[in-house]
Amino acid sequence: MLQNKVGNEQWEWEITARTHYWGIVFKELWHYRHLSYSLIRKDFLLNYQQTVLGPFWLLFQPLLTLATYLLVFNKLIGVSTGQLPPVLFYMSGIVLWNFFNDTFLSTSFIFKENAQLFSKVYFPRLIIPFSQMGTQILRFGIQFCMLLAMTGFYVFYKGYSFPTTYLIFTLPFTILLVGLTGLALGIAFSVITAKYRDIINLVSFGVRLLMFLTPVLYPVNFVPSNIRWIVQFNPLTSYFELFRLSLLGEGVVSGPHLAYSIGVTLVLLGLSVVVFNKQGDKLIDVV
Amino acid sequence: MGEVVIQVENLSKVYQLGTIGTGSLKQDLSRWWTTSVLKKEDSFYHPTSSEETEASDGRQKAFWALRELSFEIRQGEVWGIIGNNGAGKSTLLKIISRIVKPTKGVVRGKGKISSLLEVGTGFNQELTGRENIFLSGYILGMSKPEIKAKFDEIVDFSGIEKFLDTPVKRYSSGMYVRLAFAVAAHLEPDILIIDEVLAVGDAEFQKKCLGKVRDVSKSEGRTILFVSHSMQAVASLCDHGLWLQKGKLMETGKASTVINNYIKGVKKFQLHHSWNNLVEAPGNDLIRFKSIRLVPQYSSAEAPLDIRTPLTVKFQFWNLVDGQELSVGLHLFSYGGECIFDVPSPSLPCQKGLVEGECTIPGDFLNDGSYYISLIVVKDTSVNLFYYEECLSFEVEDYRGDIKWFGKWMGAVRPSFPFRIAQQELVIEQ
Repeated sequence: MLQNKVGNEQWEWEITARTHYWGIVFKELWHYRHLSYSLIRKDFLLNYQQTVLGPFWLLFQPLLTLATYLLVFNKLIGVSTGQLPPVLFYMSGIVLWNFFNDTFLSTSFIFKENAQLFSKVYFPRLIIPFSQMGTQILRFGIQFCMLLAMTGFYVFYKGYSFPTTYLIFTLPFTILLVGLTGLALGIAFSVITAKYRDIINLVSFGVRLLMFLTPVLYPVNFVPSNIRWIVQFNPLTSYFELFRLSLLGEGVVSGPHLAYSIGVTLVLLGLSVVVFNKQGDKLIDVV
Repeated sequence: MGEVVIQVENLSKVYQLGTIGTGSLKQDLSRWWTTSVLKKEDSFYHPTSSEETEASDGRQKAFWALRELSFEIRQGEVWGIIGNNGAGKSTLLKIISRIVKPTKGVVRGKGKISSLLEVGTGFNQELTGRENIFLSGYILGMSKPEIKAKFDEIVDFSGIEKFLDTPVKRYSSGMYVRLAFAVAAHLEPDILIIDEVLAVGDAEFQKKCLGKVRDVSKSEGRTILFVSHSMQAVASLCDHGLWLQKGKLMETGKASTVINNYIKGVKKFQLHHSWNNLVEAPGNDLIRFKSIRLVPQYSSAEAPLDIRTPLTVKFQFWNLVDGQELSVGLHLFSYGGECIFDVPSPSLPCQKGLVEGECTIPGDFLNDGSYYISLIVVKDTSVNLFYYEECLSFEVEDYRGDIKWFGKWMGAVRPSFPFRIAQQELVIEQ
C-alpha cells in the first residue's frame, strides 16, 4: 500500500501491510534448521515420556489395526487381497496410511495449537509443519522397518517370493509424495481451521472417509471398473498401488494416473504454502 | 549520533472487534473483492473516523490500536515506551517484531531483531532445563554454535546448574523465570525488544536483569525498545521516551521529560470527587460512593504538599442493604502500580443510609512521588462489595530540610524513625 521505493536500498528489511505470496525466504528457513531438529526431537520424545510401552506403541498400534482388518475385512466380509498374503497386504496399507493420516492431522491445527507461541515470537511459521512432517517420517521409518521384517519373514519361512524389480528405487519417492500430500492438505487446513472453527469437525471426519477411497483395505483391481474412476480421482490411490507394486510386486498403476497424482500433490503443496504465507500474518489477529 | 536503524512511517493498526463467526466468509470474500480485485482502499481504513468505527451494518466494529505513528530510532539508543493499558504499546512492539502485520504504514530497519514479549517463549514443560535452553534459544533465533558458546554463561546467570537435567515442570516458578530470562538475556541481536518481562521474578533477580540489559546497551551499543509500567525502570534504563495514548503518538524525546509529561498529562491529580445522586455515583447495588476527598493538613497557608504533610482521606458512601457489617480498606499505590500499603478500618454494623469515615496518613512517612488511592468496601471482613479503583491521586513533593544531598531518595516510603548516632571514643588505638 504505502511502499515508498525511493531510497529503499539502505534498509535490510521492511514491514508493510502487504505479504508477498512468495514471502518465504529459504535462507531464513535454513537459519532456523536447528529449531526444526529440536522440535522433531521434542515431539518424538514427548510422545513417549511417562508411558508404559514407550515407543513400542508405534509397533503396537498398527499390529492391533492389522488384527482388526484381518478379522473384519478378510475373514468376515472376505475382501480379496489378490495374490498377496492378507497380513502383508493390510500391513503395507496401514503403515502408509498412518503416515499420511498422521502427517495431515498433525499439521492441520498448527495455528490453533500454536497461537500462544505465534503471538509472542517471530520465526518462519513453516518450520512448524515441516518439523511435524519430520517427526512423522521418523515414526513411519520405525513402522516401515516392521513391515520389512514381516515381509522378510514371509520370504524366508513361508517361501513366498516377491518379484522385486528396479521399481524398488521408487519407494522413497512414493513415500515422500504421500507425506507431501498430507503436508499440503494439512497446511491448507491449518489456515482454514484457524479461521472457521467448525471445519475442525470436518477434518477428522473427512480423513476417515478418505481412507475408504484409498486402496488401503482393497486392491484397485477389486473395484468394479465402472466406478474405478472415483477411487482413481484420489491422488493417493496411485501412490498406494505403486508402493505395493514396488515392495510386494502387486499393484495397478499407470503412467498417466501417476502423473496426475504427482501433479495434484505439487500443485496442492505450492498453493497451500502460498496461502499459508499470505494468511499467516493475518491469522495471528484472529486466533 | 548513530545511523537510523528503525524508521516507522504512518504506522496504523486496526483490529476488528466483535465475534467472527456467521457471515465472516462472506465478509472476507467481499473484502478481498474490494481490496484485491478492485484495488480500493480497505473499507476499515478511515483516518478521520473516531476511535471505534461502526460499520454500516452495525455489526462489526473496528478498533484503532495504533494511529499514524512516525518516528525514527538510531543505533545504540534505548527507548522506553510508556502509556496506559490499551495505548497500543504491545501492538507497536509486535509489529516491529514481525508478529502482526500493520494495517497501514511501513516499518523499515537494519539488523537482526529479537523480541522478548514474554518470559519463557517456546519453553516446554516436559523437557529438561538443558533441552529448553536449546529449544528456546532456537525459537528466539539463536544458532547452535551461539547457544553452545553461551551455554555455561546462561546456566551461571540462571543459577540452576543442579537442576539442569530435571524437567522444567518440576521447577519452582522463580527458577523457571530465571532460566527463561537467562536464555533471553544472552541473545545477541542488533535490536532488542522487551515487553514487561521484568514484571515477574523476585526483586533481586529483577535488579540483575535490569543490570544486564543496561550493560548490554551501554557496552555493546545495542538498540533497545522497552515497554514497562514501571516508570522507575524506564527512567533508569532508557534515554529516550515514547508516549502513546489510545494509539496515538503523544510525545517523543528525552526519557525523563516524556515521563514527566505523561504523569502530568494522564495521571491528573484528583483530590476530591462528590456525587449528588445515587444514579451517577460510582458503585453497585450494595454500595455507592457519595464523596471522597483528600485533605492535606498544611502547616501554613503557602506550604506545598510535601513529605512532611499529613494527609487525611475522607469518604462518604451510601449503604443500600440493611444490617451489613462493613469495613473499608485503603490501598495506596505508587504511580508505578506497586501497592505501598493496605490499611483496613475496624468493622461496623451498618443500616441503610450514609456511612462516612476517614483515615490519616501521617506526615514524614511517604517518599516524594505520585501516588494513587483505591478504596475497597468489605462485608464481614471477607466479602468484597465494591472496589473503587484509583479514586484519588496526588503528588508528594520533596523536602530535604538541612540535608545537603539532592539525589533521588530511595524507597517507597520515607519514614522518620528514631535514629541515633554518637561519638564514643576520640582516637582509635590500634
